[in-house]
Amino acid sequence: MKLGIALSAAALVALALLPFALSPYTHNLMTLSFLFVATALAWNWLGGYAGQISFGHAAMFGTGGFVAARILLAGALPPPLAWIAGGLVAGAYALIWGHPTLRLRGPYFSIATIGVGEATRLVFTYWDKFTGGSSGLSLPMVPGAKRTLYWEALAFLALIAVASWAIRRSRLGLALFAIRGDVEAAADVGISATFYQDLVLFLSGAATGIAGGIYASYFSFIEPNDMLGFDRSISFVLMAVIGGVGTILGPVLGAVVFVLLRQFLIGSYPQLYLGLYGALLIAVILFEPLGLMGLGHRLVRRAAR
Amino acid sequence: MLRVEKLSKRYGGLKAVDEVSLELGREEILGVIGPNGAGKTTLFSMIAGSQKPSSGAVFLEGESIGGLPAHRVVHKGIVRTHQIVRPFANLTVFENALAGATFGRDQTHARAKAQEALELVGLWNRRGDLPGSLTLAGRKKLELARALATTPRVLLLDEVIAGVNPSEALEMAQLIKKIREARKLSILLIEHVMPAVMTLCDRVLVLDAGRAIAAGTPAQVVSDPLVISAYLGSA
Repeated sequence: MKLGIALSAAALVALALLPFALSPYTHNLMTLSFLFVATALAWNWLGGYAGQISFGHAAMFGTGGFVAARILLAGALPPPLAWIAGGLVAGAYALIWGHPTLRLRGPYFSIATIGVGEATRLVFTYWDKFTGGSSGLSLPMVPGAKRTLYWEALAFLALIAVASWAIRRSRLGLALFAIRGDVEAAADVGISATFYQDLVLFLSGAATGIAGGIYASYFSFIEPNDMLGFDRSISFVLMAVIGGVGTILGPVLGAVVFVLLRQFLIGSYPQLYLGLYGALLIAVILFEPLGLMGLGHRLVRRAAR
Repeated sequence: MLRVEKLSKRYGGLKAVDEVSLELGREEILGVIGPNGAGKTTLFSMIAGSQKPSSGAVFLEGESIGGLPAHRVVHKGIVRTHQIVRPFANLTVFENALAGATFGRDQTHARAKAQEALELVGLWNRRGDLPGSLTLAGRKKLELARALATTPRVLLLDEVIAGVNPSEALEMAQLIKKIREARKLSILLIEHVMPAVMTLCDRVLVLDAGRAIAAGTPAQVVSDPLVISAYLGSA
């Protein structure tokens, strides 16, 4: 435990000092990784802890991104507050569709989230006045802001990692794990599945929305098909599944692997990468449902024997 | 303690439970017996809030609790166990009990309560294990401990004895008696194992095809001609 904290702190310091030595390309890739790791962790609160697999988290990523971008364009709030405002709107939006759909479990819930994600993407694509339609929104570039944003993204990731650990150990975490284990038995010990699932969806949606806001600030251009595409929703699922659903280290590892893989696939096989995502998802679920964490445990056990 | 008035559950034209009334006294063990499909588990589910009654009322110490959702019924002090055990397979034995203690009626000192419940059923030494590694009797005890950890006033036990071997069955029956004395609980008990019903229950209610056909002491009901024909068919 103490070793884990020390290692995490050392990694954090190393990552915080890194931008002085990075090329702009790697700088972008690292910032993107921080945001992806953070969203994978936030997705995991719902998908891993509560066992409700969402294929629609891009809806909150996009909502948070566009709300923050609009606030920043209007000059109404400084960036961190604009991101938080975007996150709150995204969380509230998640509650609106989530409260009725979270009664569904397993594949039924997942299918509903696909519908929500796609519907939200279409609305944002045709809502020119708010999102700029398919030509998107451009935010003014501020010289030197990228380095600050790198640190802000890293700080956000650290916050989400700590929150993941805190939720796992809290009353909320116990309720979610019980709900994942058996939703009816959970009710029979006094757990309101509706309340705790709504709460975690709000938190997960809000965190995803904040990530969307930081993403918008960093890349200073967003458009609905990129922010809310189905491949973005899939990417959140993939990162957690590759790494190991329900764990904390898993989504972190998964996101790092995913970002590297994505960079390679988009560069080399731009037409095929979505298909390859699907193949990867199937392969992980078939051969090691607990992802890299499961594989690691298996190797450790084998070595011990 | 617990009063059930003309509780019914209809599925279309089928009456799964048909105007069943019962009264459970303080620290009483009331057995509910009857052939398969008599409506015993449906009756339990309605009292526990996991199924909505079609009509009728449930009172706990005079307070109407009929139609409340299951988690609210637990907060009032009624908790059930399941015929087919449903532990949280992804949580340890201790965490299973802790879930009951954390979200039950009295939510203070959850860790101490979870420990106490596990000690009472004799599972404290298995606290770090996953439920999947327990025997069936062990998982039934875990289900019992998880229910006890919610600090109930009324315990609904759905076939906690059936399905285990004879020596374990005897142990379970003694455990139930011990629990009633230690916790001053009122217990409603569905059971098929007749020797256990005979020794454990103060009174017995017999259901057949959704209706209550007899009630009385265990000795009275087993000699009741209506009960005999319900089980064996009439000549």
